[in-house]
Amino acid sequence: MNGMAQQRGWWLLIAPAFLLMVAFYVAPILQVLAISFTEPELGFGNYERLFTNMSVQRVIITTLRICAITTVLALILGYALSYTIALAAPRAQVWWLMTVLVPLWISVLVRAFAWVTLLRRQGLVNTWLTSAGIVEQPLELVWNEFGIIVGMVHYMVPFAVLPMLSSMREIDPRLLAAARGMGAGRGLAFRSIFLPLSLPGVIAAGVLVFIFSLGFYITPAILGGGKTLMVAEWIGLQILDLIRWGLGTMMATMLVVAILVTLAVFSRVLDLRRLFGSGA
Amino acid sequence: MSTSGHALALDGLTKRYGSFTAVDNVSLRVESGEFLTLLGPSGSGKTTILMAVAGFVAPSAGTVLLDGRDITPLPPEKRDFGMVFQGYALFPHMNVAENVGFPLRVRGLSRADRDAKVRAALDLVQLGQFTDRLPKQLSGGQQQRVALARALVFDPNLLLLDEPLSALDKKLRAELQEELKALHQRVGRTFLNVTHDQEEALSLSDRIAILNHGKLIQAGAPAALYERPATRFVADFLGKSNFLSGTVSEASGAMMVVAAGATRITQALPEGAARPAPGASVLLSLRPEKIAVLGEQDSADNVVTGTIAGWSYLGAGYSLRVAVPDLGEIRAVLSAWRAPIAPRDGLAIRLGWSADAAVPVAEDAA
Amino acid sequence: MEGAYKPGPLGRGLAWATAIYLVLPITIVLPVSLTDQRFLSLPQETLSLRHFATVLGSAEWLGSIWQSFLIAIVATVIAVGAGTLCAIGCWRISRRSTDLIRALMLLPIIIPSIVYAIGLYRYFGPLGLLDRFLGVALAHGVTGIPYVVITVSTALAAFDPRLEQAARGMGASLRQTLAWVILPRIMPGIASGAIFAFIHSWDELVMVLFIASRNIFTLPRRIWDGINENLDPAMAAVAVLLIIFTSALLLLDLTLRRRRNQ
Repeated sequence: MNGMAQQRGWWLLIAPAFLLMVAFYVAPILQVLAISFTEPELGFGNYERLFTNMSVQRVIITTLRICAITTVLALILGYALSYTIALAAPRAQVWWLMTVLVPLWISVLVRAFAWVTLLRRQGLVNTWLTSAGIVEQPLELVWNEFGIIVGMVHYMVPFAVLPMLSSMREIDPRLLAAARGMGAGRGLAFRSIFLPLSLPGVIAAGVLVFIFSLGFYITPAILGGGKTLMVAEWIGLQILDLIRWGLGTMMATMLVVAILVTLAVFSRVLDLRRLFGSGA
Repeated sequence: MSTSGHALALDGLTKRYGSFTAVDNVSLRVESGEFLTLLGPSGSGKTTILMAVAGFVAPSAGTVLLDGRDITPLPPEKRDFGMVFQGYALFPHMNVAENVGFPLRVRGLSRADRDAKVRAALDLVQLGQFTDRLPKQLSGGQQQRVALARALVFDPNLLLLDEPLSALDKKLRAELQEELKALHQRVGRTFLNVTHDQEEALSLSDRIAILNHGKLIQAGAPAALYERPATRFVADFLGKSNFLSGTVSEASGAMMVVAAGATRITQALPEGAARPAPGASVLLSLRPEKIAVLGEQDSADNVVTGTIAGWSYLGAGYSLRVAVPDLGEIRAVLSAWRAPIAPRDGLAIRLGWSADAAVPVAEDAA
Repeated sequence: MEGAYKPGPLGRGLAWATAIYLVLPITIVLPVSLTDQRFLSLPQETLSLRHFATVLGSAEWLGSIWQSFLIAIVATVIAVGAGTLCAIGCWRISRRSTDLIRALMLLPIIIPSIVYAIGLYRYFGPLGLLDRFLGVALAHGVTGIPYVVITVSTALAAFDPRLEQAARGMGASLRQTLAWVILPRIMPGIASGAIFAFIHSWDELVMVLFIASRNIFTLPRRIWDGINENLDPAMAAVAVLLIIFTSALLLLDLTLRRRRNQ
């Protein structure tokens, strides 16, 4: 058996995926990058807009603000859920996990639609609030930043729970029993033992949620109502409506750069392979 | 720092999981300052009892008493017991000093007081120079000593040990057994130890409580349990034993004669034991080391002839399996140095033992 | 966890609230889909299946459903075919270069689809793939590869490499080893990846918004229009049908996982 031929056989297996990816994924992305430097004219003109164009800056700030708020909320809610699941009895754990996994599988469109139904002026939440006398006028709960955040946090909590739960399950339960046996109350045992040991999972979850939030299109577009624009929808507008390829591709490139930088910064602290493996 | 220990009592302790009874009506006293070991095979309930004493398992019935006070309803964090877990449960993100100081932090001691006590505890286990190390930088033996220091640093009422040596290799285990015994003598507190290793129990304990299937079979000093086991299980679990069964043909004074087929065994009645009636069936436990391989001229209270069915060389001696008519297969040990015979399969040999070498034991309950 | 504290009231309260927050809004689509009114509302007088009838009786909706289904099938075949072989190759060669290749395969998950979508919009033009079945299927297939690579790689990590060596030692060729030894054992991983790739294509909207317009009008595209143009209760009916469909697939995946773990 020829060693070289043997190896070549295995490499051939990789070829179809590799060629498909290069030809139909990498190439279009590289083209986006190229366009940002070549249209409407050669040079950094589009990138200069980052510093000069108010609307560009507004979109970036809005996006960063919403993503930061979403990440913090998703981490808090996700942590409470993960903590409860990790310490629950095995049978209860299955039910808790269902509440996390089922939304994950439901189409993002269905979820955004459900929120519109609930949050609009004649929607169920407002109907309940006005009929219970809590408010007089229906509240503006959707087609604004509030609605986007509600919808995004709803989408992101399961993505926060999975890495946090996985890291919490690795905490040796005897450590917690030992702390308790030494006289520590619930608060101290949590603060000094559980929380520090669960931190790697929290960081992983934070990075994952933040990255997914940055490029999110569908939920912010539906719940933003066209008034509050996040960067993905803004890019779509530049390309489809305003035909400003230079500006659009520039933002798209910046989006990718922001994501890669975030990953690079945290790659020292995280095991990236586990991060993206646990999402599945 | 109080040097006296505390006394623990278990009264009718029972724990059921559904239809499975893990601990069955166990009553036991642990005297102040005593080193008591709960010994038994896995599933015997020993760990469950320890956890009930610690407060992590709520008993289905029975009480746990500390110096006569009922502490059964008390949660674990209020019991003030030191505990060494299997695998040590050292906090991986804290260094040695922080680990050992944790119980003191819980109790609100000042920084200065904490440091002093931590140093004292680490000196007690001879680890004074390792304060800044992380657990993963320590060897197994060192981790065990940190766990002990952490369990003792706050002067607990009682020290509970859950198979503390089982994670270590044989040589280290022997070394740490001696250290644990020395530590107990230095500290003078009540130690409650759980293990399945009978050698460990024999060498460390002031008293041993043997458990099987959730029941307390026998409790007493190591020598008492070894020399006068109450049941077949105890005789078999502690050390090795041959079992000879027969019926009493006559009994008078402090002696009886047991008939097994055509063989007659002269057996001394143990002190305080009731004299059995003739015709009663009896089980004798005879330890291999008490059987001598007799030469032509030697005699003993009991002499049987058998053939060697198998043998192993152990370095210091031989272990022999001897087929003896009426008695089945008997194990005997023979010192290798200047042995009277050279063992080989099929060799006929004479075995002998004195009347007080064997001891009657009860059959195990079903 | 025996012996540890259970979470306190704050933790439990927040967990329950979060669980309700996750599940309840989705359940709202069921009663809304059964409304007897013509507008988006809860049922006023009776339950009505009219909106389901509208959807299932409409040629356009059924056409979109069928189109989405076909595209998803083709995309799954592409993703499973390329992804499985790639995962196996990387697993067997197992060098730095293959680690990089596996990282490359994960790009579609890291890079937001809007970036890819606008790139495709330009890229597919000259290739004549805009608004074409093949274009969308190709785009979905390529972006479905990461899911398959992840699940198959996970299955391979549990696969004993000595089985493959034994087969080769007995004279089996690469093709035979693949077909008779490796593939049968990692089938659950492949099936899992196939389900994920299918759902990815079935639900995909962002790329479709850019590379399709009239000829290709998938189900998500039609729902998108429905939500943005008029809030028709028929949307709720579609939502319920989608939930039932994806729940069935989730159950299938769970049964496969359980069988794999046995």
